[in-house]
Amino acid sequence: MIGIPAYVVDGELPAERELVSWFKLLSALFGGEVQALDEDAVLQLVERARAGDRAARQRLYRQHVARVFRTVRGMLRSNTEAEDVTQDAMLNVLTSLHRYSPRSGTRFAAWVTAIAVNTARRRFRRKRPELTATGELPDVADPDGDLGDGLDRARQRAALLRALAELEPREREIVSLRYGAELNATEIAAQLKLDAANVRKILERLRARLGERVEARADNGVKP
Amino acid sequence: MNETNISGAWSALEPSARRRARIETRVFEWLEAAETSLLGEWFGLLKIEPLTVLACVSVGAVALVLLTPVGWMTAILLN
Repeated sequence: MIGIPAYVVDGELPAERELVSWFKLLSALFGGEVQALDEDAVLQLVERARAGDRAARQRLYRQHVARVFRTVRGMLRSNTEAEDVTQDAMLNVLTSLHRYSPRSGTRFAAWVTAIAVNTARRRFRRKRPELTATGELPDVADPDGDLGDGLDRARQRAALLRALAELEPREREIVSLRYGAELNATEIAAQLKLDAANVRKILERLRARLGERVEARADNGVKP
Repeated sequence: MNETNISGAWSALEPSARRRARIETRVFEWLEAAETSLLGEWFGLLKIEPLTVLACVSVGAVALVLLTPVGWMTAILLN
């Protein structure tokens, strides 16, 4: 019997695998991955940034930019749209730091996310087709994707985006706030002016629907 | 799919390193431009390229001296 080489099973050539691990290492070294800070450290950064400390402002930016992108990507049709909204939202955040006042139980991340969602909504009002309409196929391929992104990850992205496209805009907003922004039900409820118990119910229902659709698409072998 | 699975799937929506770098460059260039006064930019230019600035000022002064009588003559001829 002819043995199948391991790289055929994995779908990657050995040289490619080595390149990927080098890319991941370099990415981590040059700011690709940011160590998450606790809320007190974030608030200290906010104070320093308000006082004009540019390094603090940059650290604050790096702490939140990926979260903002993940959140608005779930709501919008393309990576380009999400990139523009992220840029506008982060500019808005960094130039409005003086307006932020920490309330009890509300994290800085929730305030940042509220700005991002409002920026995405403003774009939606201005140019409606930019936001994925229900059932419309989103732009799932990412030509700017990292070299370290395997085929599985691209498939996962495609399956998730297509499943999200089948949800109503309001539902997409709720799941994006939960899984993209990583807000809890109370924070989502405060942001959307809903009851927290109601948000928990909606999330449970949406999780089941989204899970079914992602699994079905993954089983059918969605093309990235 | 449970909560953890969906969170894991969502991580596939992270921006690529290239896209992240592009956003960061644009945001901080905009902030820097907004925070730098026009006077500051002129002083910056003077510090970086003093000869170019001197040349521009000289050309401007010469043009002013030469073009004023020409403009004056043209105005007289047209009237």
